[in-house]
Amino acid sequence: MAVLKALHPIEILLVEDSPGDVRLTREALKDAKITNTLHVIEDGVLALDFLYRRSPFESAPRPDLILLDLNLPRKNGREVLAEIKSSDFLKSIPVVILTTSSAEEDILRAYNLHANCYITKPVDFNQFTTAVRTIKDFWLTIVTLPPK
Amino acid sequence: MYCLPDSSTRHVVLVVDDTVANVAVLAEHLSANGLEIIVAQNGEESVERARFAKPDLILLDIMMPGIDGFETCRRLKSYRETRDIPVIFTTALADIGDKVKAYEVGGVDYITKPFHVEEVFARVNAHLALQAMQRAMAAQNRLLQQEIAARSAAEEVLACRTKELARSNAELEQLAYVASHDLQEPLRMITSYLQLLDQRYTNRIDADATEFIAFAVDGAKRMQTLIDDLLTYSRLGSRARPLQPTSCADIVSDALLCLRAAIEDSGADVVCGDLPTVMGDERQLLQLFQNLIANAIKFGKGGAQVIRIDAEDAGSAWCLSVRDNGIGIAPEYFERIFVMFQRLHTRAKYPGTGIGLALCKRIVDHHQGRIWVESELGQGSVFKFTLPKVGD
Repeated sequence: MAVLKALHPIEILLVEDSPGDVRLTREALKDAKITNTLHVIEDGVLALDFLYRRSPFESAPRPDLILLDLNLPRKNGREVLAEIKSSDFLKSIPVVILTTSSAEEDILRAYNLHANCYITKPVDFNQFTTAVRTIKDFWLTIVTLPPK
Repeated sequence: MYCLPDSSTRHVVLVVDDTVANVAVLAEHLSANGLEIIVAQNGEESVERARFAKPDLILLDIMMPGIDGFETCRRLKSYRETRDIPVIFTTALADIGDKVKAYEVGGVDYITKPFHVEEVFARVNAHLALQAMQRAMAAQNRLLQQEIAARSAAEEVLACRTKELARSNAELEQLAYVASHDLQEPLRMITSYLQLLDQRYTNRIDADATEFIAFAVDGAKRMQTLIDDLLTYSRLGSRARPLQPTSCADIVSDALLCLRAAIEDSGADVVCGDLPTVMGDERQLLQLFQNLIANAIKFGKGGAQVIRIDAEDAGSAWCLSVRDNGIGIAPEYFERIFVMFQRLHTRAKYPGTGIGLALCKRIVDHHQGRIWVESELGQGSVFKFTLPKVGD
Protein backbone atom coordinates (compact mmCIF):
# COMPACT_ATOMS: atom_id res chain seq x y z
CA MET A 1 0.00 0.00 0.00
CA ALA A 2 2.77 2.44 0.99
CA VAL A 3 4.48 1.78 -2.33
CA LEU A 4 1.32 2.50 -4.25
CA LYS A 5 0.88 5.72 -2.38
CA ALA A 6 4.42 6.88 -3.20
CA LEU A 7 3.92 6.25 -6.90
CA HIS A 8 1.05 8.59 -7.14
CA PRO A 9 2.20 12.14 -6.42
CA ILE A 10 0.00 13.77 -3.86
CA GLU A 11 -1.62 17.00 -4.90
CA ILE A 12 -2.00 19.51 -2.12
CA LEU A 13 -3.92 22.74 -2.57
CA LEU A 14 -2.78 25.52 -0.25
CA VAL A 15 -5.16 28.46 -0.11
CA GLU A 16 -3.16 31.17 1.60
CA ASP A 17 -2.57 34.85 0.85
CA SER A 18 0.49 35.52 3.01
CA PRO A 19 3.63 34.88 0.89
CA GLY A 20 5.62 34.43 4.09
CA ASP A 21 3.35 31.63 5.22
CA VAL A 22 3.34 30.11 1.75
CA ARG A 23 7.09 29.92 1.78
CA LEU A 24 7.18 28.44 5.28
CA THR A 25 4.63 25.82 4.34
CA ARG A 26 6.53 24.96 1.20
CA GLU A 27 9.73 24.51 3.22
CA ALA A 28 7.97 22.33 5.72
CA LEU A 29 6.41 20.13 3.06
CA LYS A 30 9.69 19.34 1.35
CA ASP A 31 10.11 15.64 1.77
CA ALA A 32 12.00 13.14 -0.35
CA LYS A 33 9.88 10.15 0.67
CA ILE A 34 6.55 11.33 -0.58
CA THR A 35 6.32 13.22 -3.75
CA ASN A 36 3.91 15.99 -3.36
CA THR A 37 2.98 18.89 -5.54
CA LEU A 38 1.94 22.05 -3.79
CA HIS A 39 -0.53 24.27 -5.60
CA VAL A 40 -0.87 27.72 -4.13
CA ILE A 41 -3.91 29.93 -4.65
CA GLU A 42 -4.13 33.31 -2.96
CA ASP A 43 -7.78 34.12 -2.86
CA GLY A 44 -11.08 32.44 -2.15
CA VAL A 45 -12.75 33.03 -5.51
CA LEU A 46 -9.75 31.66 -7.45
CA ALA A 47 -9.56 28.69 -5.08
CA LEU A 48 -13.06 27.64 -6.10
CA ASP A 49 -12.27 28.24 -9.76
CA PHE A 50 -9.29 25.89 -9.33
CA LEU A 51 -11.42 23.25 -7.66
CA TYR A 52 -14.17 23.40 -10.28
CA ARG A 53 -11.55 23.54 -13.03
CA ARG A 54 -12.98 26.77 -14.38
CA SER A 55 -10.84 29.05 -16.55
CA PRO A 56 -7.86 29.47 -16.30
CA PHE A 57 -7.61 26.23 -14.30
CA GLU A 58 -9.11 23.82 -16.83
CA SER A 59 -6.23 21.39 -16.48
CA ALA A 60 -5.92 21.63 -12.71
CA PRO A 61 -5.57 18.31 -10.91
CA ARG A 62 -8.05 17.35 -8.24
CA PRO A 63 -6.32 17.93 -4.86
CA ASP A 64 -5.94 15.07 -2.36
CA LEU A 65 -5.83 17.53 0.50
CA ILE A 66 -6.73 21.18 0.96
CA LEU A 67 -4.96 23.43 3.45
CA LEU A 68 -7.20 26.45 3.92
CA ASP A 69 -6.57 29.74 5.71
CA LEU A 70 -9.60 31.63 6.98
CA ASN A 71 -8.49 35.17 6.18
CA LEU A 72 -8.51 35.49 2.42
CA PRO A 73 -9.25 38.30 0.01
CA ARG A 74 -12.61 38.34 -1.83
CA LYS A 75 -14.17 35.11 -0.58
CA ASN A 76 -12.96 34.28 2.93
CA GLY A 77 -12.00 30.79 4.10
CA ARG A 78 -15.33 30.13 5.78
CA GLU A 79 -17.25 30.72 2.57
CA VAL A 80 -14.85 28.54 0.58
CA LEU A 81 -15.20 25.80 3.18
CA ALA A 82 -18.98 26.05 3.09
CA GLU A 83 -19.05 25.76 -0.67
CA ILE A 84 -16.67 22.82 -0.77
CA LYS A 85 -18.57 20.87 1.86
CA SER A 86 -21.94 21.50 0.24
CA SER A 87 -20.79 20.47 -3.23
CA ASP A 88 -21.34 16.81 -4.09
CA PHE A 89 -18.39 17.07 -6.40
CA LEU A 90 -15.97 18.49 -3.85
CA LYS A 91 -17.12 17.50 -0.39
CA SER A 92 -15.10 14.32 -0.12
CA ILE A 93 -11.79 16.19 -0.26
CA PRO A 94 -10.33 16.56 3.25
CA VAL A 95 -10.03 20.20 4.26
CA VAL A 96 -7.58 21.20 6.98
CA ILE A 97 -8.15 24.71 8.30
CA LEU A 98 -4.71 26.17 8.99
CA THR A 99 -5.08 29.67 10.33
CA THR A 100 -3.84 32.23 12.88
CA SER A 101 -7.10 32.53 14.80
CA SER A 102 -7.51 30.64 18.05
CA ALA A 103 -10.90 32.20 18.66
CA GLU A 104 -13.48 29.69 19.77
CA GLU A 105 -16.16 31.03 17.51
CA ASP A 106 -13.92 30.53 14.48
CA ILE A 107 -13.12 26.97 15.52
CA LEU A 108 -16.72 26.08 16.19
CA ARG A 109 -17.94 27.61 12.97
CA ALA A 110 -15.32 25.75 10.94
CA TYR A 111 -16.26 22.39 12.42
CA ASN A 112 -19.94 23.15 11.96
CA LEU A 113 -19.18 23.76 8.29
CA HIS A 114 -17.62 20.27 8.26
CA ALA A 115 -13.93 21.15 8.21
CA ASN A 116 -12.03 17.89 8.65
CA CYS A 117 -9.83 19.52 11.25
CA TYR A 118 -8.74 22.89 12.54
CA ILE A 119 -5.15 23.88 13.31
CA THR A 120 -4.02 27.19 14.82
CA LYS A 121 -0.70 28.14 13.22
CA PRO A 122 1.99 27.98 15.93
CA VAL A 123 3.98 31.15 16.43
CA ASP A 124 7.23 29.33 16.84
CA PHE A 125 8.72 28.45 13.46
CA ASN A 126 9.90 25.02 14.54
CA GLN A 127 6.49 24.21 15.91
CA PHE A 128 4.92 25.42 12.68
CA THR A 129 7.17 23.17 10.65
CA THR A 130 6.37 20.24 12.91
CA ALA A 131 2.66 20.96 12.59
CA VAL A 132 2.74 21.05 8.80
CA ARG A 133 4.85 17.90 8.65
CA THR A 134 2.50 16.18 11.03
CA ILE A 135 -0.48 17.19 8.91
CA LYS A 136 1.24 15.76 5.88
CA ASP A 137 2.27 12.53 7.62
CA PHE A 138 -1.16 12.02 9.09
CA TRP A 139 -3.26 12.78 6.03
CA LEU A 140 -0.96 11.36 3.43
CA THR A 141 0.49 8.25 5.06
CA ILE A 142 -1.71 7.20 7.95
CA VAL A 143 -5.08 8.19 6.61
CA THR A 144 -6.63 6.50 3.63
CA LEU A 145 -7.76 9.21 1.26
CA PRO A 146 -10.92 8.87 -0.76
CA PRO A 147 -10.43 7.39 -4.21
CA LYS A 148 -10.39 9.93 -7.00
CA MET B 1 -62.34 84.15 63.78
CA TYR B 2 -61.96 87.40 62.14
CA CYS B 3 -58.42 86.82 60.94
CA LEU B 4 -57.48 86.97 57.33
CA PRO B 5 -55.37 84.22 55.76
CA ASP B 6 -52.65 86.56 54.62
CA SER B 7 -52.41 89.67 56.75
CA SER B 8 -49.59 91.20 54.72
CA THR B 9 -51.72 92.17 51.75
CA ARG B 10 -55.19 93.55 51.88
CA HIS B 11 -57.70 91.49 49.98
CA VAL B 12 -59.87 93.32 47.49
CA VAL B 13 -63.62 92.66 47.36
CA LEU B 14 -65.81 93.93 44.55
CA VAL B 15 -69.32 94.68 45.77
CA VAL B 16 -71.94 94.75 43.03
CA ASP B 17 -75.38 96.07 43.88
CA ASP B 18 -77.65 98.65 42.25
CA THR B 19 -78.98 99.80 45.66
CA VAL B 20 -76.45 102.26 47.09
CA ALA B 21 -77.66 101.73 50.64
CA ASN B 22 -76.76 98.00 50.52
CA VAL B 23 -73.32 98.76 49.17
CA ALA B 24 -72.65 101.37 51.84
CA VAL B 25 -73.49 99.07 54.75
CA LEU B 26 -71.40 96.23 53.42
CA ALA B 27 -68.50 98.41 52.41
CA GLU B 28 -68.27 100.00 55.80
CA HIS B 29 -68.26 96.74 57.69
CA LEU B 30 -65.91 94.89 55.41
CA SER B 31 -63.35 97.67 55.16
CA ALA B 32 -63.43 98.05 58.94
CA ASN B 33 -62.25 94.46 59.03
CA GLY B 34 -59.27 95.04 56.79
CA LEU B 35 -60.74 94.41 53.34
CA GLU B 36 -60.37 96.86 50.51
CA ILE B 37 -63.68 97.54 48.78
CA ILE B 38 -64.41 98.49 45.21
CA VAL B 39 -67.91 99.02 43.93
CA ALA B 40 -70.01 98.56 40.83
CA GLN B 41 -73.67 99.29 40.32
CA ASN B 42 -74.58 97.07 37.44
CA GLY B 43 -73.54 93.92 35.63
CA GLU B 44 -71.58 95.38 32.75
CA GLU B 45 -69.74 97.84 34.99
CA SER B 46 -68.83 95.05 37.38
CA VAL B 47 -67.37 92.87 34.61
CA GLU B 48 -65.26 95.78 33.37
CA ARG B 49 -64.09 96.69 36.84
CA ALA B 50 -63.34 93.08 37.69
CA ARG B 51 -61.30 92.56 34.53
CA PHE B 52 -59.28 95.62 35.33
CA ALA B 53 -58.88 95.44 39.11
CA LYS B 54 -58.92 91.62 39.48
CA PRO B 55 -60.43 91.53 42.97
CA ASP B 56 -59.99 88.51 45.22
CA LEU B 57 -63.74 88.03 45.61
CA ILE B 58 -67.02 89.40 44.19
CA LEU B 59 -70.24 89.96 46.12
CA LEU B 60 -72.83 89.94 43.37
CA ASP B 61 -76.44 91.05 43.55
CA ILE B 62 -78.83 89.16 41.30
CA MET B 63 -81.63 91.66 40.61
CA MET B 64 -80.04 94.52 38.73
CA PRO B 65 -80.96 96.74 35.80
CA GLY B 66 -79.45 95.59 32.54
CA ILE B 67 -77.95 92.09 32.75
CA ASP B 68 -78.82 90.24 35.92
CA GLY B 69 -76.39 88.68 38.37
CA PHE B 70 -76.54 85.24 36.72
CA GLU B 71 -75.62 86.60 33.32
CA THR B 72 -72.95 88.77 34.92
CA CYS B 73 -71.51 85.70 36.53
CA ARG B 74 -71.54 83.82 33.26
CA ARG B 75 -69.60 86.63 31.65
CA LEU B 76 -67.14 86.82 34.49
CA LYS B 77 -66.52 83.11 34.10
CA SER B 78 -65.89 83.52 30.40
CA TYR B 79 -62.87 85.81 30.80
CA ARG B 80 -59.54 84.34 31.73
CA GLU B 81 -58.69 87.23 34.11
CA THR B 82 -61.88 86.87 36.09
CA ARG B 83 -62.70 83.19 35.68
CA ASP B 84 -61.17 82.09 38.96
CA ILE B 85 -62.48 84.90 41.18
CA PRO B 86 -64.99 83.42 43.65
CA VAL B 87 -68.49 84.91 43.28
CA ILE B 88 -70.89 85.12 46.22
CA PHE B 89 -74.45 85.96 45.21
CA THR B 90 -76.45 88.32 47.42
CA THR B 91 -80.15 88.65 46.85
CA ALA B 92 -83.61 88.75 48.31
CA LEU B 93 -84.59 85.86 46.13
CA ALA B 94 -84.66 82.68 48.20
CA ASP B 95 -86.18 80.33 45.72
CA ILE B 96 -84.45 76.91 45.60
CA GLY B 97 -84.37 77.16 41.83
CA ASP B 98 -82.41 80.40 42.06
CA LYS B 99 -80.01 78.91 44.57
CA VAL B 100 -79.33 76.01 42.26
CA LYS B 101 -78.93 78.36 39.32
CA ALA B 102 -76.44 80.41 41.31
CA TYR B 103 -74.19 77.40 41.71
CA GLU B 104 -74.81 76.33 38.14
CA VAL B 105 -73.45 79.57 36.70
CA GLY B 106 -70.36 79.19 38.83
CA GLY B 107 -71.09 80.95 42.09
CA VAL B 108 -69.50 79.57 45.24
CA ASP B 109 -72.05 80.81 47.78
CA TYR B 110 -75.44 82.44 48.14
CA ILE B 111 -76.43 84.93 50.86
CA THR B 112 -80.03 86.04 51.22
CA LYS B 113 -81.03 89.59 52.06
CA PRO B 114 -81.58 91.01 54.56
CA PHE B 115 -78.17 89.81 55.65
CA HIS B 116 -76.12 90.14 58.77
CA VAL B 117 -72.86 91.87 58.00
CA GLU B 118 -70.97 89.56 60.38
CA GLU B 119 -72.33 86.57 58.48
CA VAL B 120 -71.31 88.11 55.17
CA PHE B 121 -67.86 88.79 56.49
CA ALA B 122 -67.53 85.25 57.81
CA ARG B 123 -68.45 83.77 54.48
CA VAL B 124 -66.23 86.17 52.56
CA ASN B 125 -63.40 85.26 54.86
CA ALA B 126 -63.95 81.57 54.43
CA HIS B 127 -63.94 81.83 50.66
CA LEU B 128 -60.88 84.06 50.64
CA ALA B 129 -59.05 81.53 52.78
CA LEU B 130 -60.12 78.75 50.44
CA GLN B 131 -58.94 80.70 47.48
CA ALA B 132 -55.64 81.45 49.10
CA MET B 133 -55.18 77.73 49.73
CA GLN B 134 -56.09 76.92 46.15
CA ARG B 135 -53.59 79.45 44.89
CA ALA B 136 -50.89 78.07 47.15
CA MET B 137 -51.62 74.56 45.92
CA ALA B 138 -51.50 75.68 42.31
CA ALA B 139 -48.13 77.32 42.92
CA GLN B 140 -46.87 74.19 44.66
CA ASN B 141 -48.09 72.12 41.72
CA ARG B 142 -46.24 74.32 39.30
CA LEU B 143 -43.03 73.89 41.31
CA LEU B 144 -43.49 70.14 41.42
CA GLN B 145 -44.10 70.03 37.68
CA GLN B 146 -40.90 71.94 37.14
CA GLU B 147 -39.01 69.57 39.35
CA ILE B 148 -40.45 66.56 37.55
CA ALA B 149 -39.54 68.07 34.21
CA ALA B 150 -36.02 68.78 35.41
CA ARG B 151 -35.63 65.26 36.74
CA SER B 152 -36.99 63.68 33.55
CA ALA B 153 -34.55 65.74 31.55
CA ALA B 154 -31.69 64.65 33.80
CA GLU B 155 -32.78 61.02 33.53
CA GLU B 156 -32.88 61.29 29.76
CA VAL B 157 -29.38 62.73 29.71
CA LEU B 158 -28.23 59.91 31.97
CA ALA B 159 -29.86 57.27 29.79
CA CYS B 160 -28.30 58.83 26.74
CA ARG B 161 -24.88 58.91 28.33
CA THR B 162 -25.18 55.33 29.53
CA LYS B 163 -26.12 54.16 26.07
CA GLU B 164 -23.23 56.12 24.61
CA LEU B 165 -20.86 54.64 27.15
CA ALA B 166 -22.02 51.13 26.44
CA ARG B 167 -21.56 51.69 22.74
CA SER B 168 -18.11 53.16 23.25
CA ASN B 169 -17.12 50.24 25.46
CA ALA B 170 -18.31 47.72 22.93
CA GLU B 171 -16.36 49.54 20.25
CA LEU B 172 -13.19 49.53 22.32
CA GLU B 173 -13.51 45.85 23.05
CA GLN B 174 -14.02 45.15 19.40
CA LEU B 175 -10.99 47.30 18.58
CA ALA B 176 -8.81 45.50 21.11
CA TYR B 177 -9.93 42.16 19.75
CA VAL B 178 -9.41 43.03 16.11
CA ALA B 179 -6.08 44.71 16.74
CA SER B 180 -4.75 41.76 18.69
CA HIS B 181 -6.06 39.34 16.13
CA ASP B 182 -4.60 41.13 13.12
CA LEU B 183 -1.31 41.79 14.82
CA GLN B 184 -0.60 38.12 15.16
CA GLU B 185 0.02 37.35 11.54
CA PRO B 186 2.85 39.83 10.83
CA LEU B 187 4.30 38.93 14.19
CA ARG B 188 4.43 35.30 13.21
CA MET B 189 6.28 36.29 10.09
CA ILE B 190 8.89 38.12 12.11
CA THR B 191 9.35 35.31 14.60
CA SER B 192 9.36 32.51 12.05
CA TYR B 193 11.79 34.04 9.58
CA LEU B 194 14.19 35.20 12.26
CA GLN B 195 14.23 31.67 13.56
CA LEU B 196 14.73 30.33 10.05
CA LEU B 197 17.64 32.73 9.55
CA ASP B 198 19.11 31.61 12.81
CA GLN B 199 18.85 27.94 11.97
CA ARG B 200 19.82 28.00 8.30
CA TYR B 201 22.70 30.42 8.59
CA THR B 202 24.27 29.43 11.92
CA ASN B 203 27.48 28.50 10.17
CA ARG B 204 27.61 31.51 7.97
CA ILE B 205 27.01 34.35 10.41
CA ASP B 206 29.17 35.56 13.26
CA ALA B 207 28.40 35.52 17.00
CA ASP B 208 27.21 39.11 16.94
CA ALA B 209 24.60 38.41 14.30
CA THR B 210 23.42 35.38 16.27
CA GLU B 211 23.04 37.52 19.36
CA PHE B 212 21.18 40.22 17.43
CA ILE B 213 18.81 37.64 16.03
CA ALA B 214 18.27 36.21 19.52
CA PHE B 215 17.22 39.60 20.87
CA ALA B 216 14.92 40.16 17.91
CA VAL B 217 13.28 36.75 18.30
CA ASP B 218 12.90 37.30 22.03
CA GLY B 219 11.22 40.65 21.39
CA ALA B 220 8.84 39.12 18.92
CA LYS B 221 7.95 36.27 21.28
CA ARG B 222 7.26 38.69 24.11
CA MET B 223 5.06 40.70 21.82
CA GLN B 224 3.17 37.55 20.97
CA THR B 225 2.54 36.86 24.66
CA LEU B 226 1.40 40.44 25.17
CA ILE B 227 -1.05 40.10 22.29
CA ASP B 228 -2.32 36.79 23.65
CA ASP B 229 -2.88 38.43 27.02
CA LEU B 230 -4.62 41.41 25.44
CA LEU B 231 -6.88 39.06 23.52
CA THR B 232 -7.78 37.17 26.67
CA TYR B 233 -8.47 40.45 28.46
CA SER B 234 -10.63 41.86 25.70
CA ARG B 235 -12.54 38.62 25.26
CA LEU B 236 -13.61 38.72 28.91
CA GLY B 237 -16.23 41.31 28.11
CA SER B 238 -17.46 39.89 24.82
CA ARG B 239 -17.68 36.33 26.01
CA ALA B 240 -19.47 37.12 29.25
CA ARG B 241 -22.34 34.85 30.07
CA PRO B 242 -25.05 35.30 32.72
CA LEU B 243 -23.97 34.35 36.23
CA GLN B 244 -24.99 30.94 37.49
CA PRO B 245 -24.54 29.04 40.73
CA THR B 246 -20.95 27.78 40.57
CA SER B 247 -19.07 25.63 43.03
CA CYS B 248 -15.79 27.29 44.05
CA ALA B 249 -14.54 23.95 45.32
CA ASP B 250 -14.92 22.45 41.84
CA ILE B 251 -13.32 25.47 40.19
CA VAL B 252 -10.33 25.37 42.52
CA SER B 253 -9.76 21.68 41.98
CA ASP B 254 -9.85 22.29 38.20
CA ALA B 255 -7.39 25.15 38.60
CA LEU B 256 -5.05 22.96 40.63
CA LEU B 257 -5.24 20.34 37.91
CA CYS B 258 -4.21 22.91 35.28
CA LEU B 259 -1.33 24.02 37.50
CA ARG B 260 -0.30 20.49 38.42
CA ALA B 261 3.14 20.75 36.82
CA ALA B 262 3.95 24.09 38.45
CA ILE B 263 2.75 22.83 41.82
CA GLU B 264 4.89 19.70 41.58
CA ASP B 265 7.97 21.61 40.43
CA SER B 266 7.73 24.07 43.28
CA GLY B 267 6.76 21.48 45.86
CA ALA B 268 4.13 23.89 47.10
CA ASP B 269 1.54 22.62 49.53
CA VAL B 270 -1.93 23.85 48.57
CA VAL B 271 -4.56 23.73 51.30
CA CYS B 272 -8.24 24.39 50.71
CA GLY B 273 -10.82 25.35 53.27
CA ASP B 274 -14.56 24.93 52.80
CA LEU B 275 -15.49 26.84 49.69
CA PRO B 276 -19.00 28.06 48.92
CA THR B 277 -21.18 28.01 45.85
CA VAL B 278 -21.35 31.48 44.33
CA MET B 279 -23.10 33.21 41.42
CA GLY B 280 -20.46 33.24 38.73
CA ASP B 281 -19.18 32.60 35.24
CA GLU B 282 -17.40 29.26 35.46
CA ARG B 283 -14.75 29.97 32.88
CA GLN B 284 -13.88 33.38 34.27
CA LEU B 285 -13.67 32.10 37.85
CA LEU B 286 -11.36 29.32 36.70
CA GLN B 287 -9.10 31.95 35.12
CA LEU B 288 -9.27 34.02 38.32
CA PHE B 289 -8.25 31.23 40.67
CA GLN B 290 -5.65 29.97 38.25
CA ASN B 291 -3.98 33.38 38.02
CA LEU B 292 -3.94 33.91 41.77
CA ILE B 293 -2.66 30.44 42.58
CA ALA B 294 -0.04 30.62 39.81
CA ASN B 295 1.15 33.95 41.24
CA ALA B 296 1.32 32.45 44.71
CA ILE B 297 3.53 29.69 43.35
CA LYS B 298 5.64 32.02 41.20
CA PHE B 299 6.46 34.51 43.92
CA GLY B 300 7.54 32.03 46.55
CA LYS B 301 10.63 32.84 48.58
CA GLY B 302 12.23 29.40 48.39
CA GLY B 303 11.83 26.88 51.15
CA ALA B 304 8.54 25.27 51.99
CA GLN B 305 5.72 26.99 50.14
CA VAL B 306 2.26 26.90 51.65
CA ILE B 307 -0.76 28.23 49.80
CA ARG B 308 -4.13 28.50 51.55
CA ILE B 309 -7.47 29.05 49.83
CA ASP B 310 -10.31 30.02 52.16
CA ALA B 311 -13.74 31.58 52.22
CA GLU B 312 -15.49 33.77 54.73
CA ASP B 313 -19.09 34.87 54.97
CA ALA B 314 -19.00 38.63 54.50
CA GLY B 315 -22.71 39.23 54.97
CA SER B 316 -23.94 40.37 51.57
CA ALA B 317 -21.29 38.38 49.68
CA TRP B 318 -18.64 35.71 50.05
CA CYS B 319 -15.07 36.82 50.67
CA LEU B 320 -12.51 34.39 49.25
CA SER B 321 -8.79 34.51 49.86
CA VAL B 322 -5.62 33.06 48.38
CA ARG B 323 -2.79 33.25 50.89
CA ASP B 324 0.90 32.52 50.35
CA ASN B 325 4.10 32.70 52.36
CA GLY B 326 6.14 34.16 49.53
CA ILE B 327 8.10 37.36 48.96
CA GLY B 328 5.25 39.71 49.78
CA ILE B 329 4.46 43.15 48.38
CA ALA B 330 5.32 46.62 49.69
CA PRO B 331 2.24 48.70 50.62
CA GLU B 332 2.94 51.44 48.10
CA TYR B 333 2.31 48.95 45.30
CA PHE B 334 -0.95 47.50 46.61
CA GLU B 335 -2.98 49.38 43.99
CA ARG B 336 -0.51 49.44 41.13
CA ILE B 337 -0.28 45.68 40.75
CA PHE B 338 -3.88 45.55 39.51
CA VAL B 339 -3.09 47.89 36.64
CA MET B 340 -2.51 46.32 33.25
CA PHE B 341 1.09 45.48 32.46
CA GLN B 342 2.40 46.93 35.71
CA ARG B 343 5.22 44.74 37.03
CA LEU B 344 7.29 45.05 40.17
CA HIS B 345 10.25 42.94 39.08
CA THR B 346 12.40 42.46 36.01
CA ARG B 347 11.44 39.80 33.54
CA ALA B 348 14.68 38.01 34.27
CA LYS B 349 13.64 37.47 37.89
CA TYR B 350 10.00 36.67 37.42
CA PRO B 351 8.51 35.99 34.00
CA GLY B 352 5.17 37.39 33.00
CA THR B 353 3.58 40.27 31.17
CA GLY B 354 1.93 41.84 34.17
CA ILE B 355 -1.60 41.30 32.97
CA GLY B 356 -2.56 38.49 35.36
CA LEU B 357 -3.90 40.69 38.17
CA ALA B 358 -5.52 43.15 35.78
CA LEU B 359 -7.39 40.17 34.38
CA CYS B 360 -8.35 39.10 37.91
CA LYS B 361 -9.66 42.58 38.67
CA ARG B 362 -11.71 42.63 35.49
CA ILE B 363 -13.24 39.27 36.34
CA VAL B 364 -14.07 40.32 39.90
CA ASP B 365 -15.54 43.60 38.59
CA HIS B 366 -17.74 41.58 36.28
CA HIS B 367 -19.02 39.72 39.33
CA GLN B 368 -19.74 43.04 41.08
CA GLY B 369 -17.05 42.27 43.62
CA ARG B 370 -13.92 43.87 45.02
CA ILE B 371 -10.37 42.54 44.95
CA TRP B 372 -7.48 43.71 47.11
CA VAL B 373 -4.29 42.50 48.68
CA GLU B 374 -2.98 42.41 52.23
CA SER B 375 0.70 41.75 52.44
CA GLU B 376 3.93 42.08 54.36
CA LEU B 377 7.21 42.29 52.50
CA GLY B 378 9.21 39.13 53.11
CA GLN B 379 6.31 37.37 54.83
CA GLY B 380 3.75 36.68 52.17
CA SER B 381 0.54 38.00 50.67
CA VAL B 382 -3.13 37.27 50.85
CA PHE B 383 -5.30 38.24 47.90
CA LYS B 384 -8.93 38.73 48.87
CA PHE B 385 -11.96 39.13 46.65
CA THR B 386 -15.72 39.12 47.01
CA LEU B 387 -18.18 37.10 44.94
CA PRO B 388 -21.99 37.24 44.94
CA LYS B 389 -24.00 34.83 47.05
CA VAL B 390 -26.54 32.61 45.37
CA GLY B 391 -30.07 33.87 45.59
CA ASP B 392 -29.26 37.59 45.69
